[in-house]
Amino acid sequence: MKPIKKMTQAELAAYVHDHLRKSGIEVVLSGGAAVGIYSSGEYVSRDIDLVNARFAGVGKIEKAMAEIGFTAIGRHYEHPETDHIVEFPPGPLHFGDGRAAEVQEMKFRTGTLRIISPTDCIKDRLAHYYHWGDRQCLQQAILVASRHMIDLNVIQSWSRAEGKLDEYEKIKGNLQGK
Amino acid sequence: MLLEPILGSKNRERVLVYLQAREEGYAREIARFFETDHYPIQNQLEKLESGGVLVSKEVGRTVVYEFNPRYAMLQELKALMEKAISFYPEDLQEKLLMNRRRPRRRDKPL
Repeated sequence: MKPIKKMTQAELAAYVHDHLRKSGIEVVLSGGAAVGIYSSGEYVSRDIDLVNARFAGVGKIEKAMAEIGFTAIGRHYEHPETDHIVEFPPGPLHFGDGRAAEVQEMKFRTGTLRIISPTDCIKDRLAHYYHWGDRQCLQQAILVASRHMIDLNVIQSWSRAEGKLDEYEKIKGNLQGK
Repeated sequence: MLLEPILGSKNRERVLVYLQAREEGYAREIARFFETDHYPIQNQLEKLESGGVLVSKEVGRTVVYEFNPRYAMLQELKALMEKAISFYPEDLQEKLLMNRRRPRRRDKPL
């Protein structure tokens, strides 16, 4: 078993994911760490956001995380051998238009990781841009779009449902690489 | 209160209807409005944030809360709160919906 201090962020996420799954806790990677994976490491985030997709109780998560050496510090978890922090944003896994997010599975040496699709990763980042004006998240969305085949009609429909069609029209060209 | 049997807490109802009416608020402000202690209000705000219903931002030394635009049940929740407010006594409705946000000189009598 690879030591935690030598794991990449994705490997660590997969390791934690697999351990939680064995404990009956279903989580899905979202947030900046998903951008890191879909940009092949071009974007680096310290956080590992594992969405608590099936509403596991805090006590159950805390117990499972303690089994692999993580300690709860407020709302996140830390491990003495890594700078990465793990958080469990509440479920459901969705991006605002009433549809469940698409989930993909990836295999790493440390385990299997369930992760939101590139399209949903872009929605996730754009939601931060649309609702809170976070331009770094817009750049992350553009980065993911530049490396993956994305159906922009899906992004457009979702933006409309979010009430952000005007904003989408302004950034559409960036997502198309123009 | 009207939604207490569903929400299980009158302070949770207070927080949600306040934010529905005023769009944002902080613990002391909400507690002052309902003439109650601010600790249980703060507790409910934190629980709702932890559950993804609310988000917070720091304004100076104050933590201001609002609905999380990404919460999955946001439209349904807001509709429920809107309906609850419509059943409140008229004086409470007016007080909730009267939202003075424009600047006012310090010490000026109300």
